[in-house]
Amino acid sequence: MSDIIMDAQELTKNFGDLTAVNNLNLKINRGEVFGFLGPNGAGKTTAINMMVGLLRPTSGRVLIDGKKVEDVEKGTVGICPQELVLWNFLTCKESLELIGNMYEVPDAELKRRVKQLLNDLFLTEKANIVVDKLSGGMKRRMNLAMALVHEPEIVVLDEPSEGLDPQSRRVLWNYIRRLRDEEGKTVILTTHLMDEADRLSDRIGIIDHGKLLLLDTPENLKKEIGEGDVVDIKLSDPNKNQEAITVLQGVEQVQSVLEVNDRINIRALDAVGKLPRIMEKLETVEVSIADLSVRQNTLEDVFINLTGTGLRE
Amino acid sequence: MKFVGIAKKDFKELIRDRRGLFMILIFPLFFMLVFGFAFGGMGQGNQPHNLALVNYDQGATMPLTNEHVNFGNNLTKLLGDSKYENSNVHLFNINKTTETVADSMLKKREADAELIIPKNFSKSVVALIISTIQQQTVTGINTTVTPSNSTSTIIIRGDTGYMGFGVSQGILVGVLAQYQEKLVTQIQNQVKGTPGAQPIKYLQSKVEAIPGTETFTNFDFLAPGMMVFAILLLTTTVAAGLTREVEKGTLARLKLTKMTSFDLLFGGMLPWSLIAAAQVVILLIVAILIGFHWQGGLNTLLLAIIVGVIGGIASISLGMIIAAFARNDRQAANLGTIISVPTSFLVGAFFQLPQVVIAHVYGQPFQIYELLPWTHVLNALRATLTFGGGWNDIAYQVEWAVLLTIILFIIGVLLFSRNRLRAEN
Repeated sequence: MSDIIMDAQELTKNFGDLTAVNNLNLKINRGEVFGFLGPNGAGKTTAINMMVGLLRPTSGRVLIDGKKVEDVEKGTVGICPQELVLWNFLTCKESLELIGNMYEVPDAELKRRVKQLLNDLFLTEKANIVVDKLSGGMKRRMNLAMALVHEPEIVVLDEPSEGLDPQSRRVLWNYIRRLRDEEGKTVILTTHLMDEADRLSDRIGIIDHGKLLLLDTPENLKKEIGEGDVVDIKLSDPNKNQEAITVLQGVEQVQSVLEVNDRINIRALDAVGKLPRIMEKLETVEVSIADLSVRQNTLEDVFINLTGTGLRE
Repeated sequence: MKFVGIAKKDFKELIRDRRGLFMILIFPLFFMLVFGFAFGGMGQGNQPHNLALVNYDQGATMPLTNEHVNFGNNLTKLLGDSKYENSNVHLFNINKTTETVADSMLKKREADAELIIPKNFSKSVVALIISTIQQQTVTGINTTVTPSNSTSTIIIRGDTGYMGFGVSQGILVGVLAQYQEKLVTQIQNQVKGTPGAQPIKYLQSKVEAIPGTETFTNFDFLAPGMMVFAILLLTTTVAAGLTREVEKGTLARLKLTKMTSFDLLFGGMLPWSLIAAAQVVILLIVAILIGFHWQGGLNTLLLAIIVGVIGGIASISLGMIIAAFARNDRQAANLGTIISVPTSFLVGAFFQLPQVVIAHVYGQPFQIYELLPWTHVLNALRATLTFGGGWNDIAYQVEWAVLLTIILFIIGVLLFSRNRLRAEN
C-alpha cells in the first residue's frame, strides 16, 4: 500500500476570468493531519471540493489510492463542510442514522457507531433533540459527526473551528488528534487559524490566490524564515509608517521591516537587545509609539514573509 | 432500499416543520373558502343566468302540412321556460336583442352569455325532421319532400374568463343537445304512431327541467378545480424544498454517499404523494361543509384520492424540473408560482376553456390542454366527485393522466440528476 493516499495533479479551477485554484500539485500521506492554511478566499475550499469529487476541475486530476476520484468507492472520504450542513428537523440520532443508511452501514454496526460518536462528541444527551434546537457549538460537533459515521479513510474538515467557543474547540482538536493517533485516519484540515494549523498539522500547505506557496512541517516552515523574534510596533500616526520603515531598515542585523495592517513588523535575532537602537531611529523621524510588543516567530510571520501581507479575514 | 430512508427523512421534515405544513394544507383551503363563499356554496339558491338572445331565424315551411314555422322562436321560448330541476327558478333571463347590443351587454357583464340563432335555423330543423321521417318509413310513405341537407350553427358567445359564461355555456350546451334529441324522439314517435303523440305539429315542445341542475352551483363546478389548484401548488413547495437541499449543502452531503438519483427522487415522492392525498380529503371535507354537492359516496372518494395522488406526482415532477434550474429556494418558489398558477387556469381549474381540438384519439377529441396531466386529473375529479362517476367513467382520463405523469417524471428525474446530482462545473 502506497504512503500517498491522495494525489492532486496540476489542479486548476477557473470561474470565468477568476482562477480560484492555479496548478495545484499536492501529495497527502496516509495517516497524517494535513493543514491547508490560507486566508479566506485563497482557494482552499475550492481545492478541497475538487479533491473529494464534488467539483469538476477545469484541468488536472485527483487520485485517491491511485484511482481517479470519480472512480473511488463512495464512502472513502468523509467531509465536514465549512457551513453547517444539517437537516434542522431531524434529531441528532436520526441524522446520523440517515447518513449511515445512505452509506449502507449494517444496522447493528450503525447503532454502535452512532452511540460512540454521540458520546465522543459530548452529544449523548441531545441524541433525541432536533438539530434546530442545538447550540452553535453542538451543531458544529454534529456537522463533524456526520462526516465520520461511515468511518471513512480520509476525513476532510473545512474550517472546523469556525464559530466555536474555546471549550468546543479543545474537544474538536483532541478528537482530530485521536482520529489520527488511534484510528489511523488521514485528516485534511483547512483553516485560516495559525494556531490551529500549528498545533494539529503534521504538514502544512500555505495557499493564497489559488497557488500553493509553501509546503512543509510547521517547525520547518518557521525555520524557513529564520530563528528570532518579531517586534510589532504601532505608531500614533500611521501616515509616518513608510518614513519609519525606511530608517528602521538601516538598523544592523534586522532581517526584515514590513508594514502589516497599519503596524510595523520588524524581524530580527535578539530583538529585545535591539530595542534601544530601534527607538533611537524612530526618534529621528519624530514619531511617537502607541503600542509595542515583542514575540517569537509564528506561522503568520511565515505567511507575511511569503506574501508581504497579513492574513485577510 | 435507501429510498425508504429518504422517504422517512422527508416525511419527518414535512411533519415537524409546522409552519411549512400549515402553509401547504391551509393556503389552498383558504382559496376553497373564498371561492365557496363567492360562487354559490353555503346553501345559496340557484340563480337564473342572463342570456342575450339574437334570433336571425327566417323560418321555414313544414313538409306535408306547408305550415310556416319558426323554430328560432320555439327555441327562444323553450329557453325562457326552462327551470332548474325540482325548482321554480328559471335557468335563464332572456333578453331578445340585436347582435350589437348583445355584444355590448357581454362587455358590460350585463349578460352572462350571448346566443345567436342563425337565419337558416328553421330550415335545418326541417331538414332534420325530413331525414328522421325518411329513416323511420321502411316500406315508405312516398313523400315528395327532399331533404335540403341544410345545416346551421348556433353561436354561444361570451368571455371565457368569466365564471358566469363558464356555467351558462355548460347549461346551454346541455339544453340545445336535449332540444335536438327530444325533437327527433318526438318525430319518431309520431311516425310510429306512439300513443300520446300528437298529430303532425312539430312546434310542439315540452319544457322539462334539465337533469343534474337541481343542486348545481358554480361552486360544484369549481371545487374539483380548487383541488387541482392545491395539487399544482405542490410544485412550488417541492421545487423550493429541493433547491433548499442544494443551497444548504445537504444534497452535496447525500451526493457523496451511495444514494442514487432514484433513491432521492422516488423516496422524496412518497411523502409528497401522501400530502396530495391529504389535500384531496381535507379540501373535499371543507368543500362539502360550504356547499359542495358530493356525489357517489366513499367509492368516488377513493377514486378521487387515487387521481389526486397521480396529480401530486405530476406536480412533484414539475417541481423537480424547476429545481434543476433554480439558483435558490426563493427563485424556485417564484418560478413554481409563475408556472403552476397559469397552469391551473390552462387546465380549466377556474373556468371552462374554449374548444381547441388538435387530434382525435379513440374517436374522442383531444384538446391542446389535454397535453397537461392535470387537465385529465381535473376531468376525472369532476366526473367522480361532482357527477358521481365510477371507474369506467374516469378510466380514459386516468390513463392519460398516468401516461403524461410518467413522461413528466422521467423528464424531471433526468434533468434534476444531470444538473444537480453530478459533480458541479
